[in-house]
Amino acid sequence: MPDDETQQQQLGIPEDAMRRLAEMRPGAPGALFTSDLTVNEFLLVREAGFRPVGLVLGSSIYHVGLQARRWGQNMELERLSQAMYHARELAMSRMEAEADALGADGIVGVRLEIEFKEFGNDLAEFVAVGTAVTSEAGGKWRNDEDKPFTSDLSGQDFWTLIQAGYAPLGMVMGSCVYHIAHQRSFSAMANVGRNVEITQFTEALYDARELAMSRMQAEAEELHAEGIVGVQLLSLPHRWGGHTTEFFAIGTAVRPLRADHTIATPQLVLPLTDR
Amino acid sequence: MADWDGRGLPPVAAARLERARRSGVKTSLLSVPAHTGVMAAGFTPVGEVMGCIVAHLGWSGYGGCGWAYGMAPPQYTITSTNSRGYFGFGPYVDAKRSAWASAINRMLAECAALGGDGVVGVRLTESDLTEGNREFVALGTAVRSQGQHHAERPFATTLDGQDLAKLLQGGYVPAAIVVAISVGIRHDDWRTIQATFLSAGNIEVSGYTDLVQTVRHDARRDLERRLAELGATGAILTSPMTLRISEIEPGEGHRDHIAESSLVATALVGSFKPAPAPPLSILPLR
Repeated sequence: MPDDETQQQQLGIPEDAMRRLAEMRPGAPGALFTSDLTVNEFLLVREAGFRPVGLVLGSSIYHVGLQARRWGQNMELERLSQAMYHARELAMSRMEAEADALGADGIVGVRLEIEFKEFGNDLAEFVAVGTAVTSEAGGKWRNDEDKPFTSDLSGQDFWTLIQAGYAPLGMVMGSCVYHIAHQRSFSAMANVGRNVEITQFTEALYDARELAMSRMQAEAEELHAEGIVGVQLLSLPHRWGGHTTEFFAIGTAVRPLRADHTIATPQLVLPLTDR
Repeated sequence: MADWDGRGLPPVAAARLERARRSGVKTSLLSVPAHTGVMAAGFTPVGEVMGCIVAHLGWSGYGGCGWAYGMAPPQYTITSTNSRGYFGFGPYVDAKRSAWASAINRMLAECAALGGDGVVGVRLTESDLTEGNREFVALGTAVRSQGQHHAERPFATTLDGQDLAKLLQGGYVPAAIVVAISVGIRHDDWRTIQATFLSAGNIEVSGYTDLVQTVRHDARRDLERRLAELGATGAILTSPMTLRISEIEPGEGHRDHIAESSLVATALVGSFKPAPAPPLSILPLR
């Protein structure tokens, strides 16, 4: 299929890799699974009616330069926000394309990591890794765009989510790289020896976090999600010095599988271990 | 100390095992939960076992990126798997692979000498002894089945005792440890160099992306190939996939990048068998 091939080239997935994945498709002769889930997670995912099919990953090496900042001004560095978002998006979409090639319904236990490299200047590897799964019973698990669902929840959380009548739709994220203004020496002087709120800083941190969270919410709305679970709101300083920080919101958008969401009351246990 | 020819186990190891067999003292590296898990799975720990090899990795292949004078520089990554002739790192990867195989086989030989059926909780460590010498160590606890039947060839797993119990209950048997490795090399072509200029702005460096994607794929292909040879139905990775990039400068104005990726997994055989009762959800009070 020439269309598929051009799409893969645009996605930056080596051709050879697509052949490897085709061989691993469940039902292909000699197909076997690989997974980086723990044994507990692996068995729970099986118990929830899913079968791991393969370890999938996407990677992108990105040149993340700097953007000019005004010393004394609170401002979003839009170009950096876009770069950080785009690089993650590349890694995620390549991982999804691998899962697609395996005929998977979704990806669980996704980890999205950034590693700044020691070679070159400002080079970072963005990696998304997870385990592709297919449903044993069939049914519609892919999202509205017919892409496999993604979720950064652990196998235990995934099992509990399904028990409670929810299904993951996709990982949603929002990024905002923000430059927090340096205080003018005049106003810094005025605060010497006083305990006061620095409203300028408070506002900057509010701004940046709210932008990151609202971008994440917008993604969930696009997926027609009921809500987002397991949200993490991170401040990542990366390598930009004290006043430039990336605020990053990430979570798993979910949709309801049924109307009631009660789970069996868990047994209370009192562990006798000290950990 | 008698000279040892490198076959079988070193005399000092053979002596330790002989002594353990005579005295019947059982040693173990397992934690209390892991020990309980091993017992629940129908095994008894019989002793700690080790396999070790110091290998000199002196020849890694010509390591070329596939570029010779007067040719157009290659715009693709050469991996250790498809290293042809003078290019790639085939010999280096083969040497590492066989070093791991020797360390694991020596550990299994100790296990067999103690009458064990398998080794659980294996830790693999690699250390650099400088001057091109590297030490590869496999360390684990040998276990013996409480039943009548004993394995012809002992199994090995990087999973702990608790996981052994859970897997057996779930219908799987851990069969063997697989260490998969791939090394790739890619020439820094003009497009790659341009993309790393400060003035390039925030863009993807497609040359390096191709290098890491290709190597990460090749490592997984290596894993799958070796799982297929073992007749495994699947594998659980027990440590995150590693990736290391380094730069070499084989000539003036000629830079290449090398990426090495490895994976450690336990191969599984069998098929899923649902537990007799669904998992019991509990809420710890702490």
